[in-house]
Amino acid sequence: MKASLPMSNSSTVATDNRKRVLQFLGKHGILLAFLLCMMIFSLTTDRFLSTGNLLTVLMQVSILGTIALGVTFVVIGGNLDLSVGSLLSFATVLVVDLHDKVGPTQAIVLTIVFTLIIGAINGTLVGYLKLNSLIVTLGMLSAIQGITLIYTSGQNVDIQDQENTWFAFFGREAIFGIPVPAIIFIGLAIILQVVLLKTAFGRKVFAIGGNGVAAAFSGIYRNRMVFSTYLLSAFTTACAAIILGSRVMGSQNNVGQGYELQVLAGVILGGTSLLGGSGSIMRTVIGILILGFIQNGLLLLGYPYYAQWLVTWVVIILAVWLDIAAKRGRLLNDF
Amino acid sequence: MSHNRPNPSHKTLASTALKSVVASFTVAALSMGVAQAEDRLRIGITQNNVGVDSYQTTYETAFKEAAAQRDDVATVVLDAGGDVARQIAQMQDLIQQNVDAIIIWPTNGQAVVPVVRQAHNAGIPVVVTNSNIAEAGQDFIASFSGPNNILQGQYSAEMMCDQLGGEGQIVQITGQPGYTTAIERQKGFEDRLAEICPDVDLMESQPGDWNREKAQRVMEGFLTKYDTIDGVYSGDDNMGVGALNAAKAAGRADEIKFFGATNFAVGYEAMERGEYHGSVYQSPAEDARNALQTAIDVANGEDVPKLNYFDTPKITQDNMSEFEKPVF
Repeated sequence: MKASLPMSNSSTVATDNRKRVLQFLGKHGILLAFLLCMMIFSLTTDRFLSTGNLLTVLMQVSILGTIALGVTFVVIGGNLDLSVGSLLSFATVLVVDLHDKVGPTQAIVLTIVFTLIIGAINGTLVGYLKLNSLIVTLGMLSAIQGITLIYTSGQNVDIQDQENTWFAFFGREAIFGIPVPAIIFIGLAIILQVVLLKTAFGRKVFAIGGNGVAAAFSGIYRNRMVFSTYLLSAFTTACAAIILGSRVMGSQNNVGQGYELQVLAGVILGGTSLLGGSGSIMRTVIGILILGFIQNGLLLLGYPYYAQWLVTWVVIILAVWLDIAAKRGRLLNDF
Repeated sequence: MSHNRPNPSHKTLASTALKSVVASFTVAALSMGVAQAEDRLRIGITQNNVGVDSYQTTYETAFKEAAAQRDDVATVVLDAGGDVARQIAQMQDLIQQNVDAIIIWPTNGQAVVPVVRQAHNAGIPVVVTNSNIAEAGQDFIASFSGPNNILQGQYSAEMMCDQLGGEGQIVQITGQPGYTTAIERQKGFEDRLAEICPDVDLMESQPGDWNREKAQRVMEGFLTKYDTIDGVYSGDDNMGVGALNAAKAAGRADEIKFFGATNFAVGYEAMERGEYHGSVYQSPAEDARNALQTAIDVANGEDVPKLNYFDTPKITQDNMSEFEKPVF
């Protein structure tokens, strides 16, 4: 890699080593942070490192994580999607409400369709009209919340016959002891990781996020690609909503409030650049897992769950710092 | 408010230019306002966040219905959308309009105190509804109309103590931190429990933010952490059902008694199934009617108790047939 450039001949062995350490940290820092987190919590609480608890956390993060998978594509493509929080509320309300009105299968299909329509609107505005993604999706965040409230006129929605619907499969059941939400999350993560790394589609997403102009000159339709990333994030949000609706068997109008920032925190923690062009699904998964384990570990330690916000912030700052340090080869910048 | 129709002479003017349409509406609206001021009590209400939950939505509907039935009352119904700044602006608008009484459902019990004081100084009586404002503002309000949340917490402690037979290990899931209802219910519950049930051990409390999914996650943590849980007290039934969901998934629901407050339809149904053990019945319609009546009494200069509670009885599997299923 860079260490093998001729320049390194002139630098001392010590700086060379330091650079190598930093580069290692930059590359695998997130994994180390994850292991460190796990270590601290398993040493401080005896309940943490049990199969049951680990599976519980995996299930708990699956909603957040599934959304983050789609959002990772949007961010690698050089845009943001802040609308996913209220899109989650919207889709959950829809799938729960329609469950009793038209049946589970139809409810799921309709929810995915309507969620994709909203994703398509985001995608059109950002992709084809080239509007700023922050403004478009922040506006969409309030707009969808409004639509949800109008749809329900503020009422909670509930599934009446919670005991006998196969809809319970997505949020409440387990296969070989592994909760279905976790299977959906990890399954989608593997598929999307392959899509990102092994297909033309994935390479094009990297290209438009890395250098949109160069990508355009190489014959990539930026508009269409951006549009697709928003469809993808809407789709994963719909999947998350199905898990959430099935898990709770009901929905409040604002159930997804704040998810957009947690999702973004997980994506950033995973090292995906907010400027686009780099990132990875597997690292997003680890970022999301760190968020989940911090929350779970603090709860087991007896801290109020909102202590996680503080700890999460510290962890994100450390992760970003390490990332920058690795790029410039030293921990502190020269003035 | 209903449509204010401009009178015919304005109508011909209005057809000529857009400006005069606006003007005619303004004139008509102003004259309506004056007409109302002459023969009716004008009561303004600024609500917390209509539409965010069924309770507040049902409250608003009931409030409008109750007001519509009174010929002697005209209301200005506003909603702060959960935003303190907007609520303060709405309070100032109502003060400017010089209404006869203001009802406020505080978005934040602390932050609205100055503007409540402003209304008080302007000679407009303020009735606080549903959740009370901070101690510092108590001198400036005419009355508080709402549930007695401390008593509700005490009721839940009594039901818990009773059904656990005086001993056991329990956990608590509280409402949103900083929200008066959450704080009062927790206090009522903890104080009363220590008093009547010293052998029931409250092992831990965590906030569930009035959110069922969050409560479910908190309960999953509790179930991992504690091998024995005999009872759960949740700040409302919405969270209580989340806790129940978690316990059912872990196969431990049978060994746990669940108590909540503000009986929701889902809590009522779980009680019918025998899975949920007690709550406090709080009708939003009753809440709204009580607030309106209190404001009317205050505006008419009648003597009103400072704390004007409406009744919120205990509901358990034994007496639930006396209650209708909640609409929210």
